[in-house]
Amino acid sequence: MEENTEMTYTQAVTELEQLVQKMQDPQCSIDNLSAYTKRSKELLDICRKKLTAADEQLKQILADIQQQ
Amino acid sequence: MINTASNNEQLPQGMTLSAFNARIERVISGEPILQNQWVIAETSGLRLNRSGHCYTELIEKDERGTTIAKVDAVIWASNYPYLYYKFKEATGQPLASDMKVLIKVTANFHRQYGLKIVINDIDPSYTMGDMARQRLEIINRLKSEGIYDLNKLLPFPDVPQRIAIISAAGAAGYGDFMNQLNSNPYGLQFYTCLFNAVMQGAQTVPTVLAALDRINSHIDLFDCVVIIRGGGATSELNSFDNYDLAANVAQFPIPVIVGIGHERDTTVLDEVAALRVKTPTAAAEHLIQCGTTALARLNELQDAVVASVRDTVAQAREQLAYYTSMIPATAHRIIDTNRIRLDNHARNIPLVANNLMAIQRTRLERAIERIGDNIARAMQREQQRLQALDDKAALLSPAGTLRRGYSLVKLGDRYISTATDLQPGDQVTLQFAADDAQATIN
Repeated sequence: MEENTEMTYTQAVTELEQLVQKMQDPQCSIDNLSAYTKRSKELLDICRKKLTAADEQLKQILADIQQQ
Repeated sequence: MINTASNNEQLPQGMTLSAFNARIERVISGEPILQNQWVIAETSGLRLNRSGHCYTELIEKDERGTTIAKVDAVIWASNYPYLYYKFKEATGQPLASDMKVLIKVTANFHRQYGLKIVINDIDPSYTMGDMARQRLEIINRLKSEGIYDLNKLLPFPDVPQRIAIISAAGAAGYGDFMNQLNSNPYGLQFYTCLFNAVMQGAQTVPTVLAALDRINSHIDLFDCVVIIRGGGATSELNSFDNYDLAANVAQFPIPVIVGIGHERDTTVLDEVAALRVKTPTAAAEHLIQCGTTALARLNELQDAVVASVRDTVAQAREQLAYYTSMIPATAHRIIDTNRIRLDNHARNIPLVANNLMAIQRTRLERAIERIGDNIARAMQREQQRLQALDDKAALLSPAGTLRRGYSLVKLGDRYISTATDLQPGDQVTLQFAADDAQATIN
């Protein structure tokens, strides 16, 4: 699994979709369910944060470029 | 040369220029083939003066671009508003320099101002056709160079949040775009950076190209480029039908969205961009739409996770219940199956024994038959041998020997086998097969 801090939205959502696919597989073992669910929650949080939480550092970088 | 010196010399005589020009004026103004003629020309240095008259040069160039005909022309102020709106209504842009036009003209010669072509009417469809041809030429060139589709083929980011904007800072379109983006009700974050450019007139191409270069030097910071313009309804779009600009956008390494504020026409820039929208607001709406689609997808995935957990647990529970219920039934089934097998074996034992007995009996009978046959054959062989011995014995018996001509010599009751046992005078009996004879030994 990827390091959360380094993940892009696309990486996170791709891993999430693969995970959901595994969970939807009728062969999915109940033994893996807990780990899958925990990781899904982490990925959902990463994705939502990427979409809605402000990245002040990026804002500042772009403001500097615009000023140039 | 007119000599203005005052003397009495005889000077060459000539008519005045005004008189000569009056002749030209008469010829030209009376000539029907110079009136209301449809002419194809290119505008150059078009300008409007304070009186509202529109002046332009009309030129014709050959294939190499050399000017081969040129004349001054004017649209009188009385006719200009009508022609202006007629042209703009049809083409979506005002009459300007460097346009191919089909115009109805009358040659006018004024003795004071010289020759001037008066433009009475214009056929915008010719200009539209020419612009379309130019666009087509650019598009065909981009296609032949294999770059026409490149920007369209780039994968569009799932959620374009980091937006490089090319626009004029004070333009209404830029303001509309920013308002729309920043007031989205979904809490979506967008990170914008404006790269200022002139969005109309001759400076459009160089400033937009410079902005693209600057963005390219920070390319890792952006998901897409948005080129927007708006509010300048009267501004012309010709600048966006430019090969250099189109080639640059087509090859740009991230998707370019173009929203340059026009409804009717399509520029080459629209053609090569990853996405074209009608207005800056529509560009912002598209970006927000990408974000809301992503949020909706996340909700779907969350629901899918919950449903998967629920289904997997339910399925496991169901499976467990099934196996629990199956244990007694399975045990009974195993016992029944084995009982049946046992019964079958029990039933089969006499049958198998009988079969074995029958087989052994048959083998025994066959052996007995074989023994009988062998005995009969042996008896027959022995009988034949005995018979042969009998025959031989019969042949070798005294009677047999006697019948072959031999005779026995008997002295008294004793058979004589050697002459030494006889004495002369002994009365012997010669015994033959059929009878006897008496003899005396000498």
